[in-house]
Amino acid sequence: MISVEIKNLSKVFESRFGRTKVQALNNVSLNVRSGTIYGLLGPNGAGKTTLIKILLGSVYPTSGSARILNEDIANYKIRAKIGYLPENHKFPPFLTGEGVLRLFAELKGVNGKDINNKIDELLDLVGMLKWKKVKVKKYSKGMMQRLGLAQALVNNPQLIFLDEPTDGIDPIGRKEIRDILINLKNEGKTVFLNSHLLSEVELVCDRIAMLDKGNLIREGTVEDLTTSKQIYSLKLEKELSPGLLNAEIFHTGDATYQIKVNDTAELNSIIDVIRAHGINIISLNPKKTSLEDSFISIIEDSNKLTQKK
Amino acid sequence: MKNILIFTKLTVKEALSRKIFMFFSGVSVFILVLFAIIFLSTDLEQMLPLLSMSKAGNVNLVYELVKAIKLFIVTPLFGIGLFLSVFSVASFIPNMLEKGSIELLLSNPVSRAQIIWGKFFGGVLVVFFNLAFLIFGLWALIGLKFAVWEPSLLYSILTITFTFAVLYGLIILVGIITQSSILAMMLTYLIFLIISPVLNARDKLALLINNDFVNKIIDVLYYIFPKTSELADITVTTATGGTITDFQPVVTSFLFMILTLYISIIIFSKKDF
Ligand SMILES: Nc1ncnc2c1ncn2[C@@H]1O[C@H](COP(=O)(O)OP(=O)(O)OP(=O)(O)O)[C@@H](O)[C@H]1O
Ligand SMILES: [Mg+2]
Repeated sequence: MISVEIKNLSKVFESRFGRTKVQALNNVSLNVRSGTIYGLLGPNGAGKTTLIKILLGSVYPTSGSARILNEDIANYKIRAKIGYLPENHKFPPFLTGEGVLRLFAELKGVNGKDINNKIDELLDLVGMLKWKKVKVKKYSKGMMQRLGLAQALVNNPQLIFLDEPTDGIDPIGRKEIRDILINLKNEGKTVFLNSHLLSEVELVCDRIAMLDKGNLIREGTVEDLTTSKQIYSLKLEKELSPGLLNAEIFHTGDATYQIKVNDTAELNSIIDVIRAHGINIISLNPKKTSLEDSFISIIEDSNKLTQKK
Repeated sequence: MKNILIFTKLTVKEALSRKIFMFFSGVSVFILVLFAIIFLSTDLEQMLPLLSMSKAGNVNLVYELVKAIKLFIVTPLFGIGLFLSVFSVASFIPNMLEKGSIELLLSNPVSRAQIIWGKFFGGVLVVFFNLAFLIFGLWALIGLKFAVWEPSLLYSILTITFTFAVLYGLIILVGIITQSSILAMMLTYLIFLIISPVLNARDKLALLINNDFVNKIIDVLYYIFPKTSELADITVTTATGGTITDFQPVVTSFLFMILTLYISIIIFSKKDF
């Protein structure tokens, strides 16, 4: 089952008189399977927030289409089954934490009777029960974020969109939030996540999409993305003369190098060249690439490509 | 309908949380107490002979006195009541449209039109209750003092609320377009203090300007803009027991309100946030 289905979605923001145009999304297509945690990565301004906003109705697409829970996004009624935590969200400052949850429960059409229990349960889940009766204008950033997460769950949604959910939250809180997300997944819910914190995405996401300047440049499992290029650390007996190797190689220290290869064949051909020049290899170690490394290199590659064009 | 109600409730809560509304209610209480003290400390028997000197014979003196008091109350009430009301609702729309808050509202199973209607009814409701509290209080005090229980003063609750609703439509429209509460307020006060009074005097203007084309334009503008001046006159007339002779200002102002709300909904429905 597919929970989010995006087809050739594009968005161009135009200023009021059309003087400036920003292509925030360019022909993006992707599917999110039900019951998975899906991560959307990308540098600032990549279009991540825009994508979520389109799915939730606050931004209209320029072209393309999208369906959530098998309904066209134009059908606003489907949002009853969806939870959303926007980035830098603001709640009506005159409401208490409890008041905020009650408001959004009402807006989502949650039945009146069960609301009270649900509110306590959720505030407890995000560690905010003590603050139930305090006006939200007195909350700290992390507390707002926690309440925001509780808000996104108030209607027991099947599909949850979180835009930078751990923004402003301390490390312990982040672990708690990761656990919450994994629990949601175990309950069969679908989670769609925007994040900069790649190490966290790596820990929870089943699949990942990378967005850059509105273009979807990669999509796959965390494994797919992290093993796309292998990095080895190489120590030699003496320095290589420059230009000897036609490969991605970086000098990292005294006769030590880092090489980036696509596969082991490429690695072996590099070794052949080095050996053919009579240089002894002291050590060769694979480096596990983190998502962060591959993120940076993928974005760099895509930038090079666009520059060449 | 249920969604409109939720937003109405939210708007009322927002209004109650604002200091300006506390001030509004505070002023109302103060005025009521002031009138109560004045009424308690004056003696009707002493006042009547004074009045009778200036008036000819057999008019009902108590009735005339009550009418004078109503006149004295209702004119400033119209001005100050609307001024405070406009001031207190001007930020509703800009606040709602703030980044981080509007996305959240729109992610619910509600239509954008429902949000606007909810905001509108919420604001009108709060102003209605504030006015009703003050005016009903004054009416009751007058009734107790003079034993005149004639309801005309109470009509001003409706006429002032109506005038507010007309201006509120404009405030919503300007708020949606510019996201600026200052601009919304300025434009409303401009209409209230200058445009409407000037257009209301268009017969005199016509004599001055003496140019058919310009006068036609002024005529058109007159029918377009909300007619706060005429509504003020209507408020005074009905509050003092008179009847409305010309419904045109009410009808055209009402149409103006519907139009501003309609355009607001259209623009709001097309905007990206
Ligand atoms: N309402 C808007 N009007 C005009 N341009 C916009 C609007 N919203 C976003 N943009 C532009 O669209 C592009 C993508 O913005 P978006 O907020 O989607 O990026 P993002 O990937 O979420 O970035 P970040 O990681 O900083 O949150 C940016 O260039 C931004 O300036
Ligand atoms: Mg963003």
